Order: sequence, then structure tokens, then C-alpha cells
Amino acid sequence: MSIGVYYFGAVSLILIGLYAVLVKKNLLKILVGLSIMETGVNLLLISIGYIAGRSAPILSEGVGPNNAVDPIPQALVLTAIVIGVATTALALTVAINLYETYKTLNIEELRRLRG
Amino acid sequence: MNLQFASLLIALPLISAFFVPVIKTISRKAVMPFLVIITAVQTGIAAWVFEEVYTGGKPIIIMAGGFKPPVGINLYIGHFAALFVLIIAVAGFFMAVFSMKSIGVEPKDKYAMLFLLLMLGATGMISTGDIFNLFVFMEITAISAYALTAYNKTGEASEGAMKYIVLGGIGSSFFLVGIALIYGSLGTLNMAQIAQLAGNINPTVAQAALALLVFGLAVEAELFPLNAWAPDAYQAAPHPVTAMFSAFVVKAGLYAMVRIIYLLRDTQAFTGILRLVLILGTITVVIGELSALRQTNVKRMFAYSSIAQVGFMAVGFSLGTQAGASAGVFHMVNHAIVKALMFLAVGYVALELGGTSIEDFKGLGKKMPLTAFAITVGAISIIGIPMFNVFWSKIQLILAALKVGKTGVIALILGASLVEAVYYIRLIHTMWFESANGEKVKENFTLGVIMLLLVALIIVIGVFPNAAWNIAQKAAADLYNVSQYIKNVPLLPGVSP
Repeated sequence: MSIGVYYFGAVSLILIGLYAVLVKKNLLKILVGLSIMETGVNLLLISIGYIAGRSAPILSEGVGPNNAVDPIPQALVLTAIVIGVATTALALTVAINLYETYKTLNIEELRRLRG
Repeated sequence: MNLQFASLLIALPLISAFFVPVIKTISRKAVMPFLVIITAVQTGIAAWVFEEVYTGGKPIIIMAGGFKPPVGINLYIGHFAALFVLIIAVAGFFMAVFSMKSIGVEPKDKYAMLFLLLMLGATGMISTGDIFNLFVFMEITAISAYALTAYNKTGEASEGAMKYIVLGGIGSSFFLVGIALIYGSLGTLNMAQIAQLAGNINPTVAQAALALLVFGLAVEAELFPLNAWAPDAYQAAPHPVTAMFSAFVVKAGLYAMVRIIYLLRDTQAFTGILRLVLILGTITVVIGELSALRQTNVKRMFAYSSIAQVGFMAVGFSLGTQAGASAGVFHMVNHAIVKALMFLAVGYVALELGGTSIEDFKGLGKKMPLTAFAITVGAISIIGIPMFNVFWSKIQLILAALKVGKTGVIALILGASLVEAVYYIRLIHTMWFESANGEKVKENFTLGVIMLLLVALIIVIGVFPNAAWNIAQKAAADLYNVSQYIKNVPLLPGVSP
């Protein structure tokens, strides 16, 4: 399978996430959209380091630097995933706070209640 | 002393943040004094670094773990970073003192931790020499900023924080895609090496990457399409946090944007991106000033004014000349001083009188003369009256625009100053000439001293601008002169992507 498939998948995930963030009215759906976007970005990063036919960048028997994929994007993605989890967790706690105050998660209602 | 000790600028807030729970188990009361002490020590280190860099004239390169760049991650504390690390530390120290008085909501230990992490993130953003490390520090700043915005746990605070989180999430995704494009085409993340190889990058890729990076950082830098969070967050956040947002968090974002744009100067996308930033900055100024005009809440009005000033800085940097960059840096410094003072004063008023709507400011000159005086000095300084510091940076912006023949920018600055004059003079009039009943408040001594210090700084820079202008010019040269930046970083020879 060519690398183009991964790029296409990554960009579509980012766009789907962006669509959800911009269009959906429910706060939780917006947060899900953000997570989808982050996944898309991570997939893009991974595919940039991918070299066809090579194995995971773990030095072991028969796997030298010349037949492993680029390890740096994988390290980056690991960091990005951790950051994404932290952001999502924080966003959910804020959403809980909002729900307890206004008893709704619809962003239009929220705007109206605040006046 | 060994210059590698400058890495304490990052290490000290980080380790202290994780020491806060330990302090808390010993005594709950010790948490806030601990915060003040740590920020004071940080100020001391920052002052030492500033002195080393400005007398030595050479940047401090810190190599993490002793690995030379581009293999290891390096910190680059040049003239710009040294200046802004000092500003961050001083502003952090003043706000830590203010926090002792103004933060009443528990849990204070969490507040102290987030406060230190916010300082750490901004310091790191300004001093890092690696583009992915920049992303990590940006996220540290952003996540602690989200949490601090929501700290008061009211409905408004949660809503402001939620807006910030959603926009910040979109921005960080864009930024990461930009990094992916740059890494994919150049194979390196080190800023100096990126600048060195920038000529090889495909023009279309460079354009897309730069546009994504600019939009990603525009959230932190409060440029137009992505700054909708700012007024809400500024209004709802605890008062010291608002002052820190305006004094250095915004500047860290703007710095990162400008640094990346200048690093990629050798690409063909450079002029196009500068034009994009010029347009974004202009719209930011116009919308910020016009929104400030019709606010009835003073804290929100200052927030919009702060956004507009950031637009000025962006416009200065987007002129693409050294004079423009110097003016931008000078405006950054002046604005940090003035806005730290004004948000401190407004926060203090809110603390004593219970709110920040314009009604609370009626007759403030009688009730809290010192605070009213501080706000007045800040306001006339921002308008750009001669003998106050912002006047000089606005003049430099105008001169820089004149040199490249951009008369539109001059009209923008003058017009915006006029609008500023309208709403600030209205506020000054309300404070001094409208009577209201209410007792005279006994003003806090420490906060009074801090406010007077900042007022003195405004007037000293206003009367003797040359020293500050020289510092700003050196800082801007560090930002603008990319070939010198590449020379300063000891890249390991023979390591190429």
C-alpha cells in the first residue's frame, strides 16, 4: 500500500475533527472532534517518518539503523499523545463544571443563559 | 560562574511546582510565601543571566545532557530571551505578591503549582532552540493557562476556559501539522539548522507550513481570527493571572511566531507570510480598539486594549525591517510594564470595592487615590502622550513604517491612539471627576510600593528612553539577524538530516 493512503487518512481525520468542532452544538461532541483532530495530526506525523518495507525502530538482532523507520516522529507522537490526553482531561473537567452550573451542554443554550 | 547554570531558569520553577504538595503537608499557610520566595529567586537568576548576556554580548547556549545540537536539544538565551526572561520573572514576582492578598478561593496549593508552571512554560517558549520543544513548552503554558482561567469555578470562568481550550486545541493541532511539514521536508527540528537549510525547502510546502504555524500560534498571540477567547478569559481569570496573560503569555506566543517566520527568511514564502501577519495585525488593532470603546466593564476594556496593542507589535514585526522589529520589541517591553500595572490596579480595585464595572470606578480618586493615580498614569501612557514610555515605542513604529513607505500603518497607529484616548479619558474622567459615596479605603502598603515602582519605571523610560531603546534594539537584532543566530549555535559538524 502506498504512503499516500496514510496522508489521505490523516488529512481526512483532521478535517472531520475540524468539522465537528465548528458545526456541532453539543460541547462533548466538540471535544470528541478535538480528539479526532489530534489523532489525525498524530497519524500525519507517523506517516512522515514511515519508510516502506522497514521495521520498527528498535535495535535488535537483524535490525540496524539502516532497516528501521525514522524514530524521531514516533518520539514526537508519544509526546503529542500525552499532551492531548492532558488537554482532553482538563476540558472534560471544565465541561463538568459548566454542566453543574448551567445544567446544559448545548453551546447555544450556554450563550443564552449567560446573556 | 558556570553559564550552564542558566538552565535553572527552567529547572527552578519546574521542581518548585512539584514541591508545592510537600510544602502543603507541612503547613497550608506556607504555600503562598513559598511562591513569593521562588519567584524572587527566579528574578535573581534572571537578573544574573541578563547581566551576563548584555555585558558579555554573547548568547548563552545550554546543551541539555551535554549533547551538542542538533543531536541534543539546546536552549538559546540571547539578548531577546535574556530580556524577556527577566520581564517574566519580575512580573511573576509582583503577581505572586499580589496573589497573597487577592487569591481567596481554595485550593491555593494548586494555584501556586499552576502559577509556577505558567512561568516555566513562557520562559521555555522564549528560550528554546528546538521547534518541537517549543511546542511542548507552548502546551505547558496553554494547559496551565486553561486551568488558571477556570480557577474561580464560576460559570463565566468555566465558559471562558472552555472557549480557550477549544481554540487552543485547534491551534496546537495546526502548529503540529506545521512542524510535521517542516520536519518532513528538512529532516531536522533544530531552529538553527532549519534556518540554515531553509533555502532547500519547496516553496509551496514552506508557505503551507508557515501559514499553519502562524495560525497555530495566533491563539496564544491573540491575533484576529483566533482571539475570541481572550476577553472572556481575561475577565473571568483571577486578577494576577490576567496581568500575567497580558504581560508575558501573549508576548511568548508572539515571539515564537516572529522567530519562526524570520528563521524561514530564505524561503520564497517569507514576504507573503509577512503580508498575512500585517493584515491579521491590522484587523486585530481595529477590532480590539472598536470593541474596547463600548465596554462597560473596565477589566474587559483593558483586555480589548491589550489585544489591540498586540496587533501593533505584530504590525511592527511584519514590516520586515530591523527598525520595525526593534519598534515591536520596544512596544512589547513598554506594554508589559504598563499592562502589569493596570491589571494589578484594576484587580486591587475589584478586591476592595467588589467589582470591575465602570460604576465601581466612580470617584475612585477620592476612595483610593494611589490606585487611581496608577491607572491614570498607565492610561495616559498607553494613549501615547509624550514623556511616557509607550509614546516612544509608538513613535518608533511610525518611523519604521515611514522608512518602508507604509503610510497605511501610520494612519492605523494614529487612528487607534485617538480611539484609545476616547475610552481612556472617559475612564480617567469617571475616576477623578464623578462623585460617589463610599469610605476612603486604606490602601495596602506593599501593593502601593509595587504600583509606584511600575509608575516610576514608566516615567523613567518616558523621560530617558535611550537606555531602554538600546536594549530593545539589541534584543531585536538577536531576533532579526538570523545568520548570526546560526553562527551562535554550535551545530555538530557532519550531522545532516
